[in-house]
Amino acid sequence: MDKKIKKFLKDAVRVAPKVSNKGELFELRNGLVSKYPQTRKDAIKKTIQQMTIGKDVSPLFPDVLKNIATSDIEQKKLVYLYVINYAQTHPELCILAVNTFVTDAQDPNPLIRCMAIRTMSMIRVDMILDHVEGPLRKTLQDDNPYVRKTAVLCVAKLFHLNRELCISLNMITDLISALDDSNLMVVANTIASLTDIYEMDSSVVPLPLLIQSHITQLLHALSECTEWARITILGALAQCDAKDSIQAQDIIGRVTPHLQHVNPAVVLSSVKVIVKNLDLLPSELQKQPTDKVSTALVSLMSTPPEMQYVALRNIRILLQKYPELLSKELPIFYVKFNDPLYVKLEKLDIMVRLVSTSNLKQCSLLLAELREYAMEFEPEFVLKAIQAISQLAIKFAYANDSTSATKFVTKALDILCTLLQDRDTFQDECLVSICDLLRYDSQLANLPLPIVSSWTDADSHLVTDSGKCNYIWMLGQYRFPNAEEKLQQFIDTFAQQGHSTQLSILLTVVKLSRQLPDTTLQHVLKLATTETQDIDIRDMAMLYWRCLSLPNADKLVEDLSNAKLPPLTSTLDQFSPELLHSLLQELSTLSSIYYKPLSQFKRRTVQHSSVQGKALDELTSMAHAEIAKNLNSETLLDLDSDSTNVPNANIKGGSALEELSDLFNFTGDSLLDKPMQKMTIQEGKQVPANGSAKDLMDLF
Amino acid sequence: MSSGIYFCDAKGKLLLSRRYKDDIPISAIEQFPYLLIEKEQESNVIPPCFSHNGVQYLFIQHNDLYILTLTRSMYANVAQVFSFLHTLVDVLQEYMKVVEEESIKDNFVIIYELLDEVMDSGIPQITDTKMLRQYITQKSFKLIRSAKKKKNVVRPPSSLTTAVSWRPEGIKYKKNEAFLDVIESINMMMTQQGQVLRSEILGKVKVRSRLSGMPDLKLGLNDKGIFTQSNEEEEDEPSSQPSITRKKSNIELEDLKFHQCVRLSKFENEKIITFIPPDGDFELMSYRLSTPIKPLIWCDAKIQVHSRSRVEVHCRAKAQIKAKSTANNVEILIPVPNDADSPKFRYSHGSIKWVPEKNAILWKIKSFPGGKDYSMAAEMGLPSVNDIADYNFKRPVQIKFQIPYFTTSGIQVRYLKINEPKLQYNSYPWVRYITQSGEDYIIRM
Repeated sequence: MDKKIKKFLKDAVRVAPKVSNKGELFELRNGLVSKYPQTRKDAIKKTIQQMTIGKDVSPLFPDVLKNIATSDIEQKKLVYLYVINYAQTHPELCILAVNTFVTDAQDPNPLIRCMAIRTMSMIRVDMILDHVEGPLRKTLQDDNPYVRKTAVLCVAKLFHLNRELCISLNMITDLISALDDSNLMVVANTIASLTDIYEMDSSVVPLPLLIQSHITQLLHALSECTEWARITILGALAQCDAKDSIQAQDIIGRVTPHLQHVNPAVVLSSVKVIVKNLDLLPSELQKQPTDKVSTALVSLMSTPPEMQYVALRNIRILLQKYPELLSKELPIFYVKFNDPLYVKLEKLDIMVRLVSTSNLKQCSLLLAELREYAMEFEPEFVLKAIQAISQLAIKFAYANDSTSATKFVTKALDILCTLLQDRDTFQDECLVSICDLLRYDSQLANLPLPIVSSWTDADSHLVTDSGKCNYIWMLGQYRFPNAEEKLQQFIDTFAQQGHSTQLSILLTVVKLSRQLPDTTLQHVLKLATTETQDIDIRDMAMLYWRCLSLPNADKLVEDLSNAKLPPLTSTLDQFSPELLHSLLQELSTLSSIYYKPLSQFKRRTVQHSSVQGKALDELTSMAHAEIAKNLNSETLLDLDSDSTNVPNANIKGGSALEELSDLFNFTGDSLLDKPMQKMTIQEGKQVPANGSAKDLMDLF
Repeated sequence: MSSGIYFCDAKGKLLLSRRYKDDIPISAIEQFPYLLIEKEQESNVIPPCFSHNGVQYLFIQHNDLYILTLTRSMYANVAQVFSFLHTLVDVLQEYMKVVEEESIKDNFVIIYELLDEVMDSGIPQITDTKMLRQYITQKSFKLIRSAKKKKNVVRPPSSLTTAVSWRPEGIKYKKNEAFLDVIESINMMMTQQGQVLRSEILGKVKVRSRLSGMPDLKLGLNDKGIFTQSNEEEEDEPSSQPSITRKKSNIELEDLKFHQCVRLSKFENEKIITFIPPDGDFELMSYRLSTPIKPLIWCDAKIQVHSRSRVEVHCRAKAQIKAKSTANNVEILIPVPNDADSPKFRYSHGSIKWVPEKNAILWKIKSFPGGKDYSMAAEMGLPSVNDIADYNFKRPVQIKFQIPYFTTSGIQVRYLKINEPKLQYNSYPWVRYITQSGEDYIIRM
């Protein structure tokens, strides 16, 4: 009994750390080599605490390591924690522990076997790697599935550290055979491990083939493993193509129940698999799974905001492929006042997309809802709501007959006009939206016209480039009273104005050249050729100047004023078919959140700079194609009789191309706007050409 | 997938991290606070993921914490990452009640240990707290005992990797009981005129199981349409199933979600809910109904702002429920302008106070019998200077309430059969119903 008490005391005794002037490290070291186990344990904890707050306690490595040989598993865990932390930064120190690792990998306790093998496969030192083979192979065959599930992941880590060694040891073959393991968690981790290796180097493992050959097994396994394993397996299923429609049907049938899993990530992964296989089904069988996908997506709207964000971004992709998918579910996307801003904005976008234009009641409901949003206070949200109003109206107008369309557009215009008067800070955006709607039917201008034309100093109402540009367009198109005076204030500040505004001034002055004094025209043409750095405006001004000095200049001006703008079919941006196709394959991955397909990113082993280079190459060539296309459809000048302009146009196009290429040689996000503006001019529309500019946006 | 898990404070400064791979240098996370500031300056919209220098930052916010994971792979499954981070918070909450900066600092050892188990080389592993508890024991409070227990070495429980990974074997109770709570939360959005813009019922069935052994449970609900009829029809003609069931069933439970213990394929094929429950409390299933419903508590509020002098609030609340039911803990939160002060109230029932930090008036009624009609009026002063149109004040009226012994959807538990093949004991299921306001029961002003 006495002995027991003594031992208990010895175990439990904790020596208070002495305050010494030799510094903290010294005290910790003292604690680590203390003869009382509890004191040692406390010291290890302290050391780890110091490590956590970022202090360098690596000098204590040998002393901490002395404590690894213990039967107290908690202490062992602590030591391993410490070792793992420094395994990455101070691999050389870990060599000291090789022998312990190897012994521990044979420990009777599975937890310890796991810790040892996990730690070993993380240390980037050749010497350790040399010792890793035996233990790893042994643990891959371990009796305990808990150990096997850890070991299979270690193979991927080993591959990451030293690919040659991993291949020469033939570890991957061992890994592949683990696919047939009796335990599902091991199978799931094996797939995760193989996927990881496949991502690093697709030539080493024939992953799609492997999954295809195990497909029945995986489908059966789905309902019996943990949520995370399900996600891994579903991820693998989404990678492989079904052989035929019968197999696709089988896959969909097996995966559909998982749309009801409580974990939103399982739901989204299931959606991905179903969407992937849906096209293979005969069309009459597609309805039921589509309906189930639809309810599943709706259910994702009652998850935490981050999840909702992922879901919304993915719904945006799905909606382009299946426009009717959620057409009955509008109310679920109504914005809640306590949603985070990033969710609110996505919801707005989704709502405009999902309404069905054949349903007038729904569209009207949404319009009323958008009006409410436009009265809120967060600027970004209000801006987007105002945009959405015109997007919705144009979407509706395009799909319906002219009477109901006009009625709807008038309603939207009415709301926008009220907003234009009520919301001082958002006049720019209101004006842009109004102009978009006027492009649908210019006869409707009598609503906003009295308000806008009564402004005496538009420059103080409007802030943004696009707002001013649209104002000037309206001014020219509808011949405001006192146009000259109103224009003059913009002309006076010509050099300070933005690109679109300058362009708009130029066009309007030419259009109104008969009403304005000649000096104004001369003055603007001169400003545009000398005062601006913008090559396009200079070219454009030159072009006009030359045309105006031709004999039939009057006709030109007339043509220009009467030019019918191509009707807007939609102001909602769309993905190109190729982009859509690849995004559908990549649902719930990061690339589907950024709307950038993986093909734009090289595998992650490649240096980052070259990744960017490649993406830019693609972009440049796409942009070139786009410009060439637009050049052909140049309708602005409408001068088919006048052949002298053709070379001019080519020169202009050429220089723009060069400029664009120049731009692409730089990198950085700020450039995003510039090519957009370029596109606007090439389109030759006075109103910022939302359609094509946004197409280009998609490329980014 | 994930390269590591990081806990950062409210400013984004690193508190604790666990790196699973070494492909991202530690400097990446050290940049996070600066990136946050940068993003904030750019725009108010900060999505929960962004990239910088080829590193992807994915994060959630919880109390005063940012919880992040970093990755380089564009293949990373974002849904999984966010779902995992939220689960991780839940797990930590089980261990340390509140997850915030202080508790992270106090419990770093246990967090390290958990992080080791819940994720391995970036792949989520085991997040079931009932299982984790068996081999990760909060040690800071059990120092002496753990020293004594030395021989009883902790090992991963054998059921961890089996098909029933959520329930250990050998559980024993003297009295075998199962409690079912059916909780329905009502979310509604209404206009001031009483038009319902949106309504939904979010239902949950929570279970507290105190049962021995490995019981197999079977739950029957009164929802005939979904749980029995569709069964027969589906066998006849699977493709026409959805349209027919919808017509026939009275209660249309939409997107049912089940706890992982429920056999999903069995439900899909036979529409029977069967499961082996985890021990203790868990959420068995959730469902949603979007059938239009009448507001249960309606409140006719009028707010008149006489600028530069005062604001008047008139509010009449009505409990539109059966006379024998009672709504408890009713709270009506009415927004007032930010600069309003010196409130004066007149009311017949409950209690009223001004909550300046929310810029609102809170009207509390402990018990509100069905069919009754209460009203209140308030007047507050406004400063006589400085009057910019204050859009911030345009917030909705929020209402909270609880109605016991009542479900809006009419769902009922028909039976809960408990069968333990080996022990064959008698057991007692208990059922409770409650309807309450959801997070989002509001009237737009």
